[in-house]
Amino acid sequence: MNYSTELIKGTLKTIILKLLADNKKMYGYEITQKVKELTRDRIQITEGALYPTLHALEADKLVTTETEYIGKRIRKYYSLSPTGKAQAREKVKEFASFMDTMIALLDIKPKMT
Amino acid sequence: MYSLSEQQFDFILSDINARGVRLESLQYDLLDHICVIIEQKVEKEEDFDQCYEATISAFYRQELREIEEETIFLLARRNRLTLSRNQFFLLLFTIFIGPFVSYDLAWLVTSGPTAGWNIPLHIWAPTVVYSLFPLLILLVLLLTPERLDPLIPVKSTVLLGIRPFIKIIPKPIDRVEIETTAR
Repeated sequence: MNYSTELIKGTLKTIILKLLADNKKMYGYEITQKVKELTRDRIQITEGALYPTLHALEADKLVTTETEYIGKRIRKYYSLSPTGKAQAREKVKEFASFMDTMIALLDIKPKMT
Repeated sequence: MYSLSEQQFDFILSDINARGVRLESLQYDLLDHICVIIEQKVEKEEDFDQCYEATISAFYRQELREIEEETIFLLARRNRLTLSRNQFFLLLFTIFIGPFVSYDLAWLVTSGPTAGWNIPLHIWAPTVVYSLFPLLILLVLLLTPERLDPLIPVKSTVLLGIRPFIKIIPKPIDRVEIETTAR
């Protein structure tokens, strides 16, 4: 299934915060691959969306960074700050509530897998 | 595992810089991301130059510096009021004529019910006169939307906050956050 951009717009922060909450620390490429893996390629985060959001989260003090040298190049690992952890919980809770509302509103029968 | 040479590494970094990405931390993010992809691809016996071109071009729609522009936009937007161009001009219009309209309304309220709608000339005339200027600007904007392009381009975003008070992001921000692919 191909999701429309309108449908998933605004979920990027939630996705990143939740991934960081589950994986302690991650670098950019790792985040994109994890999303691909978890969604079985149905959602791909573009680099043009990922890094601006990570930098904004860092400026908001929701994530912290640490660097590691891989040979000559620098790898930046992102992890959640205490505020970020609380925000991740809040965002997931909000999204779950939103999904419940939409399921009720659109009368969607959950699939049994 | 294939490892990039120092020369290739320097080439990628200088190319990122040449393509307009100036924020150092963003450069390092992109550099690492590109290197990981290339190291995996070249390992499968692909040519470095072709592989690099294919990789970097997948990072943007028109230019690589879009990523930096979006980063700057998101950073600048924090704790600021974000307005479209039309909203901004509407706000200016309201600020210009708001005091005059308030003055008229205040007169209506204070003069009691007997006055009705017979507002004296010295009360309503300034409102009409001072409304004309912002109204004309709005009319010009409506008829020739590209007129204020050098200052506030069409579809630009206006950010209001503290230091600087007004920040104009001229490029339309195509905020497609996530790309999806069909399975």
